[in-house]
Amino acid sequence: MSRDLAGVWLAEAAVFALVVAGILAERPWALGATGGALVAAGALVRFVPRLRAALAGAFARRRAAALAGGAVLALALPLALRSSPYWTFVATLALLYVTTGQGLNFQIGTAGVINLAGAAFAGLGGYAVGLLTVAGGWPAWLAVLVGPWAAVLVGTILFVPILKTRGHYLALVTIAFVFIFNILVNNLEFTGGPQGIKNIPTLSLGGYAFTTRPALAGVELPAHANFYYAALVMAGLTTWVLRRLHDSWLGLVLNTLRDDEIAARCCGVSVTRGKLLAFSIGNFFIGLGGAFYAVVVGFVSPPDFDFGYSLVMLSVIIIGGVDSIPGVVLGACLLVPLPERFRFLHEYRLLLYGIVIVVMLLYRPRGLWPARIRRYR
Amino acid sequence: MSAAPNLLDVTGLTVRFGGLVALDGVDVVVAEGETVGVIGPNGSGKTTLFNALTGLLAPAAGDVVFLGRRLTGLEAHAIARLGIARTFQASRLCLDLSAFDNILIGMHARRRTGLLDSVVRRGRLVGEMRAAIERASHLLALFNRDLPRRGFERVGQLPQIDRRRVEICRALAAGPRLLLLDEPSAGMNPEETAELMRDLRIVRDEMPGLSVVIIEHDMFVIEGVSQRVVAFNYGRKIAEGSFAEVARHAEVRAAYLGTETAHA
Repeated sequence: MSRDLAGVWLAEAAVFALVVAGILAERPWALGATGGALVAAGALVRFVPRLRAALAGAFARRRAAALAGGAVLALALPLALRSSPYWTFVATLALLYVTTGQGLNFQIGTAGVINLAGAAFAGLGGYAVGLLTVAGGWPAWLAVLVGPWAAVLVGTILFVPILKTRGHYLALVTIAFVFIFNILVNNLEFTGGPQGIKNIPTLSLGGYAFTTRPALAGVELPAHANFYYAALVMAGLTTWVLRRLHDSWLGLVLNTLRDDEIAARCCGVSVTRGKLLAFSIGNFFIGLGGAFYAVVVGFVSPPDFDFGYSLVMLSVIIIGGVDSIPGVVLGACLLVPLPERFRFLHEYRLLLYGIVIVVMLLYRPRGLWPARIRRYR
Repeated sequence: MSAAPNLLDVTGLTVRFGGLVALDGVDVVVAEGETVGVIGPNGSGKTTLFNALTGLLAPAAGDVVFLGRRLTGLEAHAIARLGIARTFQASRLCLDLSAFDNILIGMHARRRTGLLDSVVRRGRLVGEMRAAIERASHLLALFNRDLPRRGFERVGQLPQIDRRRVEICRALAAGPRLLLLDEPSAGMNPEETAELMRDLRIVRDEMPGLSVVIIEHDMFVIEGVSQRVVAFNYGRKIAEGSFAEVARHAEVRAAYLGTETAHA
């Protein structure tokens, strides 16, 4: 049994070390070596059945220990990335994508409500925070808690009339909505037009500003560490809540609606109620990600929430695994940092995402971490 | 006809698709605990009857009264909650979900726990789910003792006959008063059909109060399970009575064999 424990923690530590090394490697050969080591480790696990079975068994038997180990490593990440503070910011962004990705996955993956307006609903959260703090003088933490409700409210009003439309029509309406949202914030006076809303005050709790560099036992952490930890808590809570909702009556109802609406109706499922719940709950977490983004970056502007970001969120889900909650975490942690690591890819980011999506849909349509059978634990 | 009060009373039910009259003033009654067979050629309105009863189609005229309540105008999910469950001619299972999940959806209308229990008071939800899975296992075991062990497998991995059983279990899981079976033997070979008939008798024995309406093309199934038979043609009810009576009926023979033969 303690061999399981050692195996779990060793595997986690190895992945962590390789990822940190890959991020910090400056010379091409060092980057190549860590990349090669990651691929080799992945291939080893993939193609050596005994190792694969042993690891899978160990992780299954030691779930709590595996989660605890992962949490400790996530907490230690800013410490490991001290030499390059920018990467703590990238990690924070990845965690924001975990939050929005979970919300969007609840709509698209669990309920089959194809929402391509993720960027607009994140934008509603972000702009709500901007307006509440800058124009309304609210404290940032309160605005972050209230902002997501703007996404829920607008989403509900928008969705009720188009509820009867199915499948691709809904997708088309949401695409139109992203563009309408962008044109509106670009042209309206109170949203600041193309300039957006600047000087959004930073988070502070009880007089402690989140921009202060925290120190841990005398070691100073990168500037964004506080935001990183706050985003970690937010992404963790979001994942926890949505996992529990997914493994419950609601998740079952939404899966059935997604797979066969007629069968669901004949089992007593109200289509209106189910889809509206999925859409609202999803929009809350998408809006939460956007709201938090506003206080991390300190400003919001129209290009931060254009259609491209809807596609990035969608890619996170498809790569991770549609309807898979751990898959979303994996997808966000892969898709957000990778283009940052390879700056030359940055220009072609959307092209890269497009290629990755096509390849995934062709060869691994269930994603890297496919959804599992519900066990209701 | 029977002394027991009618569970279902259908009077003058008419369904139109544009100019086509799919159901034309149909009267059907189903008593409590009775099994009624519905026969008729393809396109004679049998499935349309089911779709109108379950609220998937809005009738143009006529009345459906179930347990003393008018169903016309109610949405499908509301009708299901009143106690009408059905299966479909082409399987409508969610193949990516487990067999248990496919049955559990039938029970969700009677759930006691809400969203809050799912997230914070998790113990209540888990307890309810365990009981529900136990009930689903019990239902599956009625038909195939080995099936509960495969409950957490994707239903798409089960053989055809077991999928049909899961679908019947889903309908039974809702605890309905009226069960509508739309051609359960569709796509089955003779051995599977024999197993299906055994399954239907198990339903009869286990749930004596349950009323069943079954659409079938297989006359052995109809003869074997139904107490009364209704025959349809071109959206109208052309005959009603015991299997032997209906099978002898001239119009039924004409509908199945053609008028030339009937006149001969």
